[in-house]
Amino acid sequence: MNFRDSEGLRIINNWMAEKGIAPFPFQLQTWQRYANGYSGMVVAPTGFGKTFSVFLGVVIDYLNHPEKYPKGLKLLWISPLRSLAKDLAKAMTEAVDDIGLDWTVQVRNGDTPTAVRRKQERMMPDVLLTTPETMHLLFSQKKNSRWFKGVRCVAIDEWHELIGNKRGVLTELAISQLRYYSPKLRIWGITATIGNLEDAKHVLLPYSDLNITQITAKQRKKLDIISVLPDEIEVLPWAGHLGAKMVDKILPIIASNTTTLIFTNTRGQAELWYQLLLNAQPDLAGLLAIHHGSIDKKLRNWIEDNIASGYLKAVVCTSSLDLGVDFKPVDCVIQIGSVKGVARFMQRAGRSGHSPFERSKIYFIPTHSLELVEVSALKEAIKNKQVESRDPMVLTFDVLVQFMVTLAVGEGFDSEKLFARIKEIHAFQYITKDEWQWCIQFITKGGKTLNSYEEFHKVILDEDGLYKVKSRRISMLHRMNIGAIVSEVNMMVKYISGGYIGMIEEFFISKLKPGDSFILAGRILELVQIKDMTALVRRSKAKKAVSPSWLGGRLPLTSHLSHYLRLKLSDALQPGRLEKELRFLNPLISRQDEHSHIPKSDEFLVEMIETKDGHHLFMYPFEGRLVHEVFSALMAYRISKLKQITFTIAMNDYGFELLSDQPIPVDANNIEALLRKENLMDDVVASINASEMASRKFRDIAVIAGLVVQSQPGTRKNNKSLQSSSGLIFRVLEDYEPDNLLLRQAYTEVFNQQLEEARLQQAFERISKSKVILKHAKSFTPLSFPLKVDSLRGTMSNEKLDKRIQRIKEQAFKIE
Amino acid sequence: MQIVTEHITLKNEDVILTNQRAIYWEREEALILSDIHIGKTAHFRRHGIPIPDGILQKDLNRLKELILHFNAKELFIVGDLFHAETNSDMATFKQWLTQFEDLNLVLIKGNHDTQSLRLMDDLGIVVMAQLEIEPFIFLHEPMDNTLNLFTISGHTHPGVLIKGRGKQKLKLPCYQVTVNQLILPAFSLFTGLNTRNIPKDASCYAFTDTSIFKL
Repeated sequence: MNFRDSEGLRIINNWMAEKGIAPFPFQLQTWQRYANGYSGMVVAPTGFGKTFSVFLGVVIDYLNHPEKYPKGLKLLWISPLRSLAKDLAKAMTEAVDDIGLDWTVQVRNGDTPTAVRRKQERMMPDVLLTTPETMHLLFSQKKNSRWFKGVRCVAIDEWHELIGNKRGVLTELAISQLRYYSPKLRIWGITATIGNLEDAKHVLLPYSDLNITQITAKQRKKLDIISVLPDEIEVLPWAGHLGAKMVDKILPIIASNTTTLIFTNTRGQAELWYQLLLNAQPDLAGLLAIHHGSIDKKLRNWIEDNIASGYLKAVVCTSSLDLGVDFKPVDCVIQIGSVKGVARFMQRAGRSGHSPFERSKIYFIPTHSLELVEVSALKEAIKNKQVESRDPMVLTFDVLVQFMVTLAVGEGFDSEKLFARIKEIHAFQYITKDEWQWCIQFITKGGKTLNSYEEFHKVILDEDGLYKVKSRRISMLHRMNIGAIVSEVNMMVKYISGGYIGMIEEFFISKLKPGDSFILAGRILELVQIKDMTALVRRSKAKKAVSPSWLGGRLPLTSHLSHYLRLKLSDALQPGRLEKELRFLNPLISRQDEHSHIPKSDEFLVEMIETKDGHHLFMYPFEGRLVHEVFSALMAYRISKLKQITFTIAMNDYGFELLSDQPIPVDANNIEALLRKENLMDDVVASINASEMASRKFRDIAVIAGLVVQSQPGTRKNNKSLQSSSGLIFRVLEDYEPDNLLLRQAYTEVFNQQLEEARLQQAFERISKSKVILKHAKSFTPLSFPLKVDSLRGTMSNEKLDKRIQRIKEQAFKIE
Repeated sequence: MQIVTEHITLKNEDVILTNQRAIYWEREEALILSDIHIGKTAHFRRHGIPIPDGILQKDLNRLKELILHFNAKELFIVGDLFHAETNSDMATFKQWLTQFEDLNLVLIKGNHDTQSLRLMDDLGIVVMAQLEIEPFIFLHEPMDNTLNLFTISGHTHPGVLIKGRGKQKLKLPCYQVTVNQLILPAFSLFTGLNTRNIPKDASCYAFTDTSIFKL
């Protein structure tokens, strides 16, 4: 039967016609390809009905061939965000009800009540919306394969959000396992535009037996970017997150639009701006809300409902509202502070004017001066249609061993057969037999050094030839640990009188004493006491309070944007006629030029400053924070070859600072040698080994691989006797098992994720062709000041510990 | 291994602090330490977390060197001798103990010490809730005491954060000493450091592998 004349398509077309809409060409195309047995990837911006492309494709196919679909689960819908699922399920349920299909659509994720989960386990719905983590939790259940044998299609929604991180690997593994249960499974990805769509498709669909297609929506969103400038440049600080005077500029924007989303980059800033806006215009109370990942779920749901209904006038939020539901009333987006990447900026802008034919409108509010250069760079990148790539992760052994234990907790696995399947997956296509053996060894015997230990029985080889977990306690511990999102240690915040407010990082709360006040969820709270990983608080009468800092969520500038940033800064001394941001900045840029220098595109600036803090060396490669972390360690390493020295290192997206208590032996004679491109990679390897970078990367690896048990906020039973830190385990493994694959992975991740050899080579190539300008400044310059105030610092030293202590003592130290 | 010492006087008694996480009280010929957490690595392994047992060996070797160095007659463990359940590390410890037949072991019971008395008997360890030998009281958890008594305790795994010029920061284990108490660092190397809750007016003696010094 011809698909165009099929009954299924007729029903859907009629249904849409009744609602007064017609399918977009890409939707029709998806339905047809699905009917022809294809797997594939749909590329479409949000707001164009991408959900209904794949979902209705399955519905139509079912309507045409109901006999091909057994009872039970038919479509699995995996999306990265829990909050998306609820509304998607609603939309899907409406659709199947309208067309009179007797399907059930249900959600299953961490928020799903136990009773509902038990019910699902007895009888799965026809469509299940879930997350990668919940898929793995399902695989850890006994006899889980029975749920998935009849699944015909798995859809991966917002694939672009998953591909660049370990949750993407979890997804790849989940798909592989589903294919094992249901060999004829069709796999469909849905993604927004990213720089490497071909890669994205290949990572999702590496299987040669599939017919694969890609469908791209032609529709494009019209976008207006409006940067909001203060009345005078002095209003903006050089650094930091303030620019509170910009409040007066934000209020009129809120007033003149129906509903405004105000994006900030961190939860701390969201709290801060919420207070600033309320103080400036108290009658916004009740109409202005705050939304971020640490706020109670119930409150977040309430806020989301009230954005949708148009009741709220404005919401201050973080990336928590980047994705998700279509909020129809939102007609304006304000971005406060740099957004650090082209793709994210466009995504946020797309939250306004959500219907396909409206324009998106985004206001950019700089919080410090240099961000004006960033917005100028951003506009240029968008004009040139440059969107970042999201590089898939490979050989993540932490995720692999977790998955192996997950299967062992569930139905058990056969080593040879699983190895063959794992090798098909993009992330593990280059895994060797030896590495696989190591993983088996790791989960059965704990690694090479543990050969003789009787007490290690994590996974055992059962009589039937399958690897299994037999201990209930280990199963329980493992299930708690499934996933690849490693958060800071969090504490629940509750009123002492009862009532949950949200979560806060232990790191922050541990610095407070009872009686101190802080801000959460827009409320000023007084800490009463800490008990069982819960901070008990009461309302505070204080007018002012510290707003919490969350360590997580600091985003690095992407390489794309940094490239444009370099060009724009060098233009800034002679800004073009239309570049109002750069023209506005001119006084500040001139000041930098007067006191130091503005690097032209063929120059590389180095600044040296001496203050009471010590001796500072600043370099400005403009390569983004991640690359600067490696770059700075390399410079510290090369300088330490000249003299025994200790550095503390700070970096941001523009450059980095090496700070030492001793004079830094760098001058015009040796600076070019220090920046030499020769021996680059050897020195980089040596500097990574000497620095703390790998140890930091190991933090996530240790948790994902189950070496560190995370305490569960708010629970009394938090496995206290199993507490240790990843730093401790990192050192132990360095001492006793240096060839441990998870340890090696930490070093590889520094390489793959931060450094991108090619890019660093290019940077040094560029620098070697540039004129190096070394300036001694008397005080901090507009470029160096932001680095001075940055609080995230690392250390690198090649001095003897005792010698360091000796000198610190002579300098009259402080103790904490 | 290098033993570096610092002599201090507490309540007119000579006490030697070492950089190896134990102190020696000359009058009683007693080596005193806290929080050795034997069985911790095996406890982790039993729960599916592979931790090499070289750590225990290293701790026991250090302890042996200390006992021989001072020719100690008494060993006071101020709590948390064992980490959790009975496991294979205890056998290792028992075997290790046989080389010190004349050593007198006293355990001041810590929050982790949930072993049966029979096992302690078997190991020849005297268990007490607290031990009083003029002018000191040994107990596991430090307490705010206003009495004219000097307590020696452990439990908190004390550490100190040192800040130097150029925003340098160093975290080191330490002894904390006030007019009426001394808090011992954790003996085991498989422990974390707690740099918070330093008692009021405490002097900290921090140490490295090769030095010990007062802050």
